[in-house]
Amino acid sequence: MRILRRLAYWLRLSSHHADLVNEVEFHRAMVEEDLLRRGMSPAAARIEARRTMGNDTVMREEARAVWLWPSLEALWQDATYTMRDLRRNPTFTIGVTLTLALGIGANAAMFSLIDRLLFRPPAFMVDPSTVHRVYMYRTSQGQERGTGGQYARYADLARYSTTFSQIAGVSLEGLAVGIGEATRVRNVAVVSAAFFAFFDAPPALGRYFTASEDAPPEPAPVAVLSHELWTTQYGAHRDVLGATLRIDAVQYTIIGVAPEGFVGLWPYRPPVAFVPLATYARSEGPPDWATTYGHSFGIDAIVRRKPDVMIVQASADLTNALRRSYQTQYQGDAAGAPLDRLRPRAVAASVLAERGPEPSRALRPARWLAGVTVIVLLIAAANVANLLLARAVRRRREIAVRLALGVSRRRLFGQLLTEGVILALMGGAAGIALAVWGGRVLGATFLPDTEPVSIMTDARTIAFSGLVALGVGLLTGMAPMAQLARTSLVADLKSGPREGTQGRSRLRTSLLLLQSALSVVLLVGAGLFVQSLRNVRNVRLGFEPDSVLVVELAMRDVRLDSAATVALRLRLLEAAKGVPGVSHASLRESIPFGGMSSYPLRVEGIDSVRSLGDFHFNAVSAEHFAVMGTRILRGRGFEPTDRGETRLVLVVGQSMANVLWPGQDPIGRCVRVGLDSLLPCRYVVGVAEDIHSESIEPEPKLFFYYMPALQWKPQEGGLFVRTRVGPTVTAEPLRRALQREMPGTAFVTVTPLGNIVSAKMRSWIVGATLFTAFGVLALVLAAVGLYSVIAYNVTQRKHELGVRLALGAGRMRVVRIVVAESVRFALAGVMIGSVVAWVAASSIGPLLFDQSPRDVVVFGAVTAVIVCVAVVASWVPALRAAGLDPKTALQAE
Amino acid sequence: MPPTTPAELLPGTLDLLILRTLVRGPNHGYGVAQRVRELSRDVFQVGESSLYPALQRLTLNGYVKAEWGVSDNNRRARYYTLTPAGRKQLAAEEREFERIVAAIRLVLELA
Repeated sequence: MRILRRLAYWLRLSSHHADLVNEVEFHRAMVEEDLLRRGMSPAAARIEARRTMGNDTVMREEARAVWLWPSLEALWQDATYTMRDLRRNPTFTIGVTLTLALGIGANAAMFSLIDRLLFRPPAFMVDPSTVHRVYMYRTSQGQERGTGGQYARYADLARYSTTFSQIAGVSLEGLAVGIGEATRVRNVAVVSAAFFAFFDAPPALGRYFTASEDAPPEPAPVAVLSHELWTTQYGAHRDVLGATLRIDAVQYTIIGVAPEGFVGLWPYRPPVAFVPLATYARSEGPPDWATTYGHSFGIDAIVRRKPDVMIVQASADLTNALRRSYQTQYQGDAAGAPLDRLRPRAVAASVLAERGPEPSRALRPARWLAGVTVIVLLIAAANVANLLLARAVRRRREIAVRLALGVSRRRLFGQLLTEGVILALMGGAAGIALAVWGGRVLGATFLPDTEPVSIMTDARTIAFSGLVALGVGLLTGMAPMAQLARTSLVADLKSGPREGTQGRSRLRTSLLLLQSALSVVLLVGAGLFVQSLRNVRNVRLGFEPDSVLVVELAMRDVRLDSAATVALRLRLLEAAKGVPGVSHASLRESIPFGGMSSYPLRVEGIDSVRSLGDFHFNAVSAEHFAVMGTRILRGRGFEPTDRGETRLVLVVGQSMANVLWPGQDPIGRCVRVGLDSLLPCRYVVGVAEDIHSESIEPEPKLFFYYMPALQWKPQEGGLFVRTRVGPTVTAEPLRRALQREMPGTAFVTVTPLGNIVSAKMRSWIVGATLFTAFGVLALVLAAVGLYSVIAYNVTQRKHELGVRLALGAGRMRVVRIVVAESVRFALAGVMIGSVVAWVAASSIGPLLFDQSPRDVVVFGAVTAVIVCVAVVASWVPALRAAGLDPKTALQAE
Repeated sequence: MPPTTPAELLPGTLDLLILRTLVRGPNHGYGVAQRVRELSRDVFQVGESSLYPALQRLTLNGYVKAEWGVSDNNRRARYYTLTPAGRKQLAAEEREFERIVAAIRLVLELA
């Protein structure tokens, strides 16, 4: 009620003001009248009335203040006082601001990333809580795997499901956009016509495509441009409608432009255009693209639940639709309905891809790092609290005087709190600036090949940072209050500023311990991740990705027959070998870590090769083993003479040789690739070292073999090229040399194999980089904290130390006293931190590669580092203490 | 009437006195001050500097309502009226005051 009246008062502020003036004037007039009645002269009465009324401005102000929040004015006073004070101590101000900026900035950057990945619904989406991404699974060989992606499967889901008001197929593809030299691989959103209805985003120009344009058998070649492409490439001209745009093999007619900022489901990889799902599938797929279950286009389904349908119901409905889809697929199959074996299952999960049914791999360290950034913030806050405490103690006498002069403690607290909050807000502002930079680094580490997103313009991140800053400000502002609450006015007044050994504050000590313990935890984490990354890097992959380039061919609409394609590949192979810096080149079908091919095998004497594990292969030409740096352990690699018309040969990996022919000589053995026993024998001519083909981790049931490219499908795949001078130097000359050989609109791309492999190492690289960065940050903060406390203590103990010096203590002895104090703090922190790290170790274990989370070496190294830092941090104050002139120190008394 | 020296109001009693004078009917600020002085036989002289803030406080709390009206001598004056909430508050403050006075008296008599 009071609040409402206050608000009402505020709304009519000027009229209330006038009321008060009139009222007081009435009062004055009445007094004057009264005086007149008592016989005073009019002039005297007027003066007397005014005199009795006193200072009516002050009175009016007081009356008005009843309505205002009295604290508002006090707050303003405190703020100006604080600002004046901060300006007078620039070192302190800058130190605190920077400390907080680091803490808050790290958190803002992390928040921005996590928020975008996990929480923020796609822009423009209508009622995102009812929208889901569909994940499909089926079981094969007793293991459940993800499935889906076919056009027919998506169509079946749409046909058979009943609990959804909307359903759309989506896929983001990197496709060649444009023609000629301007051709670039860009992100293109391949979506059903229904996709746009999930959003409230009317086109900026033209229209979106319709269901009939997106329907088999003859979908329309129409495209909608992103606003960004429209403005950058077409100068935002309205006559863009009707123009054509070449995307991969299709000549699209532009029918519309999406509104500004519309990026569909892909904020980090904004698509430049939207094309119909059916049109894309038709251009990229086999003739029966709309009905085959044998070709995946990577299509994901997104759905909108009807009102009152719960998520479990939606998932059940999807599972049912998937079962019917499999029934349709296997209709008339002699093997009967394999549903019991396939156990199809579908889940309606978050529409945010990173959230998925289970969090993605890159996300696990992200969650850890969120925790780590909070620790950094805690350290920063502890540091600032400590500095504020030191200041409050230094200002003890000033504060005591103010208290003696009648300032209420409440008011004093308010001032300290204001100081904390102002400092924190300054730190927050600086932190956001840091976060802009940090966010870019974080984004590049977690989500490479993505567009950076501005934090400055992001209200959610700004609000978050503001809240964090406010919280930190209140918290740190509170620390000196705790100190103040215990001070005795009289003692403080009597104590001179030089008064010596006041007992050390327990609060400051615990803050310091907290800081060093937390930095120990972070440093141990950093040490473990760095070790783990080293282990990852030391894994022998069976090939040397760092000097290999991968050449891929994109044929677009160029249709060559097999013979012409083979001829083209051989021409490219020769051209590659002619490029300066290239030492070897070979044909290849697939790429390690890029999805390897597999095929059923028959080996004499073994009933089911399949039951032994998965057998992957690559079809390669001579020089392949030299290109990749894969060692041949027995027999030989491939020769140029291993061609279609000669004896069919095979090179097997070591483990494959061991599992197929344990204890026997594999050379000369016969392997049939394919299930038909009439297939010709392929004879093993060599044994190569094992390679990792899917992950850095050990692959116990994964085996590998090679066939000569010219004896398998010579028309499929691209090249591997080994460079002597480094992949980045060679990549562009190689691309240009090869592009000259490409017919029509076809083009080649050249990627370092190292990039493909390091994508698989990302989670470890991310963990190591960021833990180290934050660990060092924490260490610096802890060092600053330690320094400030020791320096302060030295000032406090001036008298005592002076006495010691006067009594004949050597200078080194004083240095030792001071340094020992710092080291004691550090060691106590190490002990607490080590215990915490030891306990937390079990949960960090799964993130490490071949690395015990309780590595004594790491713990020992961290202890050494912290002790060194403690010595360094206390060195300057210690020297200052040793340099004290005992006479001055004692005279000051 | 012997000349009286004005006495300090007990803290917190000003609101009580203002509310009490308004029981008889609406009055303006000047009138309230006059009444308090008259009824206390010049012991309490309510200064303007505390009267108006107090009236504002009472308005804010909803104990009185302010309206412009015309005074006896035909001037525009702001009249304060006791609200039902104000009546309740007055009763409560009176009880509290009685309790305190009784307590003080007890101490004075027995100590």
